[in-house]
Amino acid sequence: MFDAVRNNKRIVQGFLFLIAISFTLFGVDSYVRGTGAGTDVATVGDGKITQQQFQQSLRGQMDRARQQMGPSFKQELFDTPEMRLAVVNSLVDQRLLLLEAYKGRLGASNDMLVDIISNMPSLKENGQFSQSRYEAAVRAQGMSTEPFEAQLRQALTMQQLVGAVADTGIVSATSTAMMLRIQSEERQVAEIRYAPEQFASEVKLADDAARRFYDENQKLFQTPELVRAEFVVLSLDNLLSQVAVSDSEVKQWYESHKDRYQQAEERRASHILITVNASAPDAEKAKAKAKAEEVLKEVQKTPAKFAELAKKHSQDPGSAVNGGDLGFFGRGMMVKPFEESVFSQKDGQISGLVQSDFGFHIIKLTGIKAAKLKPLEEVRAEIEGELKRQGAQRRYVEAAEAFTNMVYEQSESLNPVAEKFKLQLQQSKFLPKEIPAQALPSLGPLGNEKLLAALFSEDAIKNKRNTDAVEVVQNTLVAARVAEHKPAAIRAFDTVRADIETMLKSKEASALAKRRGDDRLAELKSGSDKLNWALVKNVSRLQGKQVVPEALRAIFRADIQKLPAYVGVELPSNGGYALYKIMAVKPLDKLDESKQRVLQNDYTAMAAQEDFAAYLAGLRQRYKVEINKAVVESKDR
Amino acid sequence: MATYDLEEQEQLAEIKAWWKQYGNLVTGIVIAASIGVLLWQGWSWYQSNQAAKASAVYAVLQRATLDRDTQKIKSAAGELVEKFGSAAYAPLGALTAAKALHESGDTKSAKAQLNWVADNGHDELRDIGRLRLAALLLDEKAYDEALKALSASHGSGFDARFSELKGDVYAAQGKKTEASAAYAAALAKLGDTSKEGKSTLQSQQANAPYREMIQQKLDSLGDAK
Repeated sequence: MFDAVRNNKRIVQGFLFLIAISFTLFGVDSYVRGTGAGTDVATVGDGKITQQQFQQSLRGQMDRARQQMGPSFKQELFDTPEMRLAVVNSLVDQRLLLLEAYKGRLGASNDMLVDIISNMPSLKENGQFSQSRYEAAVRAQGMSTEPFEAQLRQALTMQQLVGAVADTGIVSATSTAMMLRIQSEERQVAEIRYAPEQFASEVKLADDAARRFYDENQKLFQTPELVRAEFVVLSLDNLLSQVAVSDSEVKQWYESHKDRYQQAEERRASHILITVNASAPDAEKAKAKAKAEEVLKEVQKTPAKFAELAKKHSQDPGSAVNGGDLGFFGRGMMVKPFEESVFSQKDGQISGLVQSDFGFHIIKLTGIKAAKLKPLEEVRAEIEGELKRQGAQRRYVEAAEAFTNMVYEQSESLNPVAEKFKLQLQQSKFLPKEIPAQALPSLGPLGNEKLLAALFSEDAIKNKRNTDAVEVVQNTLVAARVAEHKPAAIRAFDTVRADIETMLKSKEASALAKRRGDDRLAELKSGSDKLNWALVKNVSRLQGKQVVPEALRAIFRADIQKLPAYVGVELPSNGGYALYKIMAVKPLDKLDESKQRVLQNDYTAMAAQEDFAAYLAGLRQRYKVEINKAVVESKDR
Repeated sequence: MATYDLEEQEQLAEIKAWWKQYGNLVTGIVIAASIGVLLWQGWSWYQSNQAAKASAVYAVLQRATLDRDTQKIKSAAGELVEKFGSAAYAPLGALTAAKALHESGDTKSAKAQLNWVADNGHDELRDIGRLRLAALLLDEKAYDEALKALSASHGSGFDARFSELKGDVYAAQGKKTEASAAYAAALAKLGDTSKEGKSTLQSQQANAPYREMIQQKLDSLGDAK
């Protein structure tokens, strides 16, 4: 058969051509794509969002949060399933926008890209776009310009869709006026409160009420399983104090690391600068040079007045006020021609004209600190610390294994390890079995999930064995054992009886208050008002702080066809009941134009956001979106 | 030919016979497929070319909206719609122009742009066009037309927005019962979004102020049921 192929080259070539054509027309990547395993985070249309993209985005979010929150940032508070889902959702939204943009053949032209980049203020130097600054800025982000531009192009393309939907919101002026009227309307109300305390004396609890509640709500009275632990900590810090460093060791280190304690030569200089830009036309340079030469002549005539002349002529504002003084500096801190001159001058000598990128300098050398070796005494503490750290690190590496083994082999006590490694046997407070992640740091060395799980294991509680040595943070091993254990229990009825009764009474009193209020409300609605109303207030949606939100809603929900109108409100958390008599309604008499404009802006922003959300929801329905819930929820990766 | 052995000659003969029978068909299919591919390529190229040209006009429009140059906005939007009506840029341009024209007080031209989107746009953009058109109709007290625009079918994501505006129209007409029902429907739809097809922006907390606003509108109608 292969011979047939060989001998009928023309046909074969035809087939090959067809295959090649399909590659060039439809692209190779459609053949390659779609090979990912089942661990992709989501599929959007025909594309996938990979674990890698997800992790990168999640990390980016966390880094930003860490920067904003500083030391109060806690990773475990951030790495939650909700957060992960939010990150996936925003990746999906982005992908949807890209797909839609791609389908509509939207794109950002090169002109647009150039326009954006060249107008970024941070990339400008003297008002001009600077290519070198641009490259440096991109490099600082760990990128090169090509992928950066591709990313920017993508973002601009997406922005065309986002902008056309989210920045173009239109809200009816009628709707805004309506809203403004609603929010500004004032209602004059009087109030009567029925506080639960008023009804406390009427409350009669059945003898067995507390008992029944206790029996029916056992869960509320559970105490968690508790463990008190003793533990030992093997850490670098512990070992540090056990390491002694001898004088001769310090000396030896000093001798063999002398280059570290070498201090480079420093010089002090003053200068007079006549500025001229390196890229300025020659005529300007010549003019500056002439001026500089004039000053130089003056300086040479009266070298003692260098400082005065610097104050008068120097165009370096930072140093001019100090008589041109720049202080001490080492090599590599000043521009090259300046440095060369300074380090070749003699003390007190004044240079000729020195040209640099800044302009023309006249330099006076005013001091020399020769290169020298820092004496041993000056650096002894530093060296001792360094040697101790090294020693402790060595010891830790040796001890860690022995520690781990010993804890395991002599599992009925921690005393042997404590003695052997001169560690203190520490005691903890009682710890509950379930500790929320954010409380872990407050537990010190025990605040480690793995260690706590081991402490509450059967091996530790029943068999009274040591836990394994757990490295809770780098260079810190902790082993613990149970000193005392309290199983989960239900608190005895007698210890909680009083609390239950108080709670039931207040609940009952509040119910009585509500009943009284409801009765009165019914009377009021049937037309008889014999109550002593108090506390007349004017409330509005915008200024409703005098009443609780529940009451505010009820007051503005009331039917005001007929005044006075009455509403009753049950106050939250057993707070009793309140009646309101709406005596007058004061609608907004005139629309305030500036207020309306402010509200219109807010309303428009809100509506546009809703429009955009609905737009994204629509895209989600049109392109098939599937999110891999398992990947989002699992914390392990 | 002499180099082929018997078996090979047989195969050769078979292939030749096959070619005689199907050769024309195969050639025909290949040619048809090639023409199809070429046409498709040409169409794609044409579309891309149109999109690129439309993109340039769209850029002019965006610049004009920044400059608040009403004349230029109108001419650029007009060019987009007339010359590139089938390009994706056309509805984007019309929405952008409508906003700018509405802000400059030229409601009539703004309406024309939104009308175009409502009639010629697709999917979500068409819905957005209808919604915003209805808002402008409400301001002109053209209640029936507004309700008609709002009664057109739309993507389920827009349910709450459409219902809310319907409520506003009814409220403006003084039809409290209908308004109440519309606001209640809008609130119910907002609750719905937590179930499916929701995006990050549509989570419960994100639209809390919007819900509160609709709730206030509903409450303001009193317990009229």
